[in-house]
Amino acid sequence: MITLLKSGNVYDPQNKIFNVKKDIYIEDGQIIDKKSITSKIDKVIDCNNKIVMPGAIDMHTHIGGGKVNIARLMLEEFHTEQNPNFDSTAIIAPSTIKTGLKYIEMGYTSCFEPALLPANARQAHAEMSDIPFIDKGGYVLLGNDDYFLDLVRKKASQSSINDYIAFVLKATQCIGVKVVNPGGINAFKFNQRALDVDEKSKYYDTTPRDIVSVLTRGIQDLGIPHPLHVHCSNLGVPGNFLSTIETIKAANGLPIHLTHIQFQSYGNNGDRGFSSAAVEISNYLNKIPNLTCDVGQIMFGQTVTMSGDSMTQHKNHKHAHPHKWMCMDIECEAGCGVVPFKYKDKSFVNALQWAIGLEIFLLAEDPWKVFLTTDHPNGGPFTSYPHLIKLLMDKTFRNDILHQLPEGILDHTILHTLSREYTLNEIAIMTRSAPAKILGLSKKGNFSHGSDADITIYDKNIKDIEEMFAHPSIVIKDGMVVVEKGKIKKYIWGKTQTVAPEYDKSIEKSLGKFFEKYHTMKLDNYIISDDEMERLVGSPVNINACKHKRQE
Amino acid sequence: MRTQKKIKDLVCPFCSLHCDDIKVSMNGNRFKVDNKNLICAKKIEKSNIKNSSQILPIINNKTSTLSEALKAIKKNLLDHREILLLNHGVDLSGLRSMLSFATRYNCIIDHINSKSLFQNLNLMQRSGYMATSLTEIKNRADVIIVFGNKIFEKSPRLLDKVLQSKNSLCTDVRKKEIILVGNFNTSAVQHIKKNSKVTNIKLDLDKIPRLMRLLSSNETLENPEVLSKADLNKIQKIISKSKYLVATWTNSDFSTAKNPEIIINSISKYIVSYNATKRGACAPVAGSLGDITSSQALAWMTGFASRIKFIGTTFQHDRISYDSNILIENNNVDVILHISTLNPNKIKLNKNIYNIVIGHPNSVFDHKPDIFIPVGIPGIDYDGIMFRTDNVVSVALKNIRDIKLPTTENIINQLS
Repeated sequence: MITLLKSGNVYDPQNKIFNVKKDIYIEDGQIIDKKSITSKIDKVIDCNNKIVMPGAIDMHTHIGGGKVNIARLMLEEFHTEQNPNFDSTAIIAPSTIKTGLKYIEMGYTSCFEPALLPANARQAHAEMSDIPFIDKGGYVLLGNDDYFLDLVRKKASQSSINDYIAFVLKATQCIGVKVVNPGGINAFKFNQRALDVDEKSKYYDTTPRDIVSVLTRGIQDLGIPHPLHVHCSNLGVPGNFLSTIETIKAANGLPIHLTHIQFQSYGNNGDRGFSSAAVEISNYLNKIPNLTCDVGQIMFGQTVTMSGDSMTQHKNHKHAHPHKWMCMDIECEAGCGVVPFKYKDKSFVNALQWAIGLEIFLLAEDPWKVFLTTDHPNGGPFTSYPHLIKLLMDKTFRNDILHQLPEGILDHTILHTLSREYTLNEIAIMTRSAPAKILGLSKKGNFSHGSDADITIYDKNIKDIEEMFAHPSIVIKDGMVVVEKGKIKKYIWGKTQTVAPEYDKSIEKSLGKFFEKYHTMKLDNYIISDDEMERLVGSPVNINACKHKRQE
Repeated sequence: MRTQKKIKDLVCPFCSLHCDDIKVSMNGNRFKVDNKNLICAKKIEKSNIKNSSQILPIINNKTSTLSEALKAIKKNLLDHREILLLNHGVDLSGLRSMLSFATRYNCIIDHINSKSLFQNLNLMQRSGYMATSLTEIKNRADVIIVFGNKIFEKSPRLLDKVLQSKNSLCTDVRKKEIILVGNFNTSAVQHIKKNSKVTNIKLDLDKIPRLMRLLSSNETLENPEVLSKADLNKIQKIISKSKYLVATWTNSDFSTAKNPEIIINSISKYIVSYNATKRGACAPVAGSLGDITSSQALAWMTGFASRIKFIGTTFQHDRISYDSNILIENNNVDVILHISTLNPNKIKLNKNIYNIVIGHPNSVFDHKPDIFIPVGIPGIDYDGIMFRTDNVVSVALKNIRDIKLPTTENIINQLS
């Protein structure tokens, strides 16, 4: 069956198409060129006065795994939303069904869980399999696991570290590697309460710099498309922009992605010992070619913070709102901490955090290097993306809110001096083409022949940009219309996007022995096969190509 | 001729440790556990089918075909208004199908062990909570306080697999200290003493909160009241040297105490305060009837762990209104669909309510259910996924025999 999207204003940044009136053809879930059409067109969707973009991609959103379930259960009293179309779960900790419904309603068609613990991978995938509509994937957590830290301490060859990275990626069915507070989560288990970039962990005699260096090298060698996804040391600590810069340097010029960089861009100047270092961080972002980031914008209101960074979350528990929290040490791999939090517009610190995030967005010269996220739900729920887009595209709207914030904020931010307004081209890049590119999803985020027909169609007549992005006219996933005029037309279930770099299979023998001796499950049980993903977990995998063959 | 084969790594579905190192010999469809002195061998071997008639459905005491049983259930479901889905233990696929069914028939879902489950959930729903997982305990814990009396009966391999494992990455296993607090029987204490240093504090379980307060204050009292001064000093000294302290218990051990929640809270509160300067964590052991599988899956699908009433596309949660005990006691449900694939022991049935059991083929009852459909046991008859006690690790169960039993998912999907 062939569907024609006729005469829409098309944004396809990867193909350098910006606001061009164009037809798009779909057959069997894929985009096809006009010249390859051999049968009649079965369905025509009139896209006059419509904006047509590839489906949006959220490259950093906590939608699956143990910590999300902890938040759901911890915040039971928040599950009071009344809406006949959805269940009552709170949007800061939504059910899987609600997660899918809310994402697809906004035109998001692929989402990535950024903190997938290997031991928890089966659960996280099972959970994400129950999210309807969207494709999903995960970044596996490395860099705090005892096995890896022992390799680094022993100065094991880069080749053996690369085997380990590639093995874990395949065994856990992930698409990328993330390190959270490099070495810090492990150090916390030995009662260290902080770990700076060049500080050695007491037990493993290893620094966060060492960890970032070997992981970035490994990812480069293996050809994994997504650079190391880094939650830096000292998250949230005033003055942490210096350790953020040192983390960038630890990559030695290799690709590196800093996540929720807003939380990593703090100075400690001024009368309150807390200031914006967005300018300093943006200078690095603008000058270093291999550096990308997502922002982790905060939004005012109640949310829940969830992170693998148990060291930091334990420290933050005194700020819990409401006052309850949980931290956990997990399987000699990492940890987690769940702390509910309310960002208050009357709070100087929270208001400045809000401004810092926006400063980073507006100071970034290249939208291909900066991704739109709230680190859902840490900075705020993903449903606030349309509001965030409006903040970026409308300086009057932005400044109106800025001027309602506590007195003194203007002395600590340059936000009011930034007159930039994002264009639709730039929004299309940062929410579609750029995340697809950085994740190696060649068939997503573009309208090339053979790409997945994941498409969002917005109504140009809606003048309020927030409203336009919140309620697309039509959302198409895998070639099927799943949302039309705000109504769900069809339930479908997406795939799990992965990569599978090469590794020397003999590592399974030595790891098997390690598991026998030190773990509480066997290696065979740790590995999730493609067959298990489809048959038991509930989501078939789509293995994306690596950038190149393994190199060492 | 019967086929004989050896299976090296059976993943055990029958307790929440889900050990994956069970060796069995298959002889046709019968199996025998080969691990020497495996404490839970009998429990696993209980899954052997005694006779072939046990794989046939029963309607009103008479064997029937599966299609007749399904037809009878469908008719009854249509005739009844309030249906309770009572989970006595099933894997993830069974859970998922239960949820679809509950949405279709506007059912209430509860788990037989919800009370205990909520006691642990309360810890994080009301205050702070520090937790850990089994591999962390094995490799990091140097002092472990075990509260209760029967935890090792409920989770037989907690000792050899975790608390007294021969290998540890970061601790000297010979120096590991185990402090038993409660009423452990002498043979259990002697058994533990073989491999670890043990301090056994006989204590009325209701006095645990007082003990935790004494440990928190770290005072040296002339008369600590609940235990001797020497014992208190001894525990304080052991804990003071710890680098990673773990507190473990199983809630059912506190069921006879005056206020189990106060006991559990006091342990957790102590561990939270301990973490101000040192490291330690709680590790409650729970879930011998798939409790964790149930609570995890329901949490991601609904936001709640149990006791949920489905109404159209949405649902409500209420710990009291949807408590199966209260519903049954007050005859507030018309039909109960019991799902029980793990435990063949007696399921308590209320004679005044229509009871349908989809369950373990060896199930026995205090009185016969109206309809019984025997189904496969996850990890014995079909592949599945279940979740471990620590709420972190899930295991892939693999089938070892083929006796043509349908899965719970098969049956429930045919009813939906």
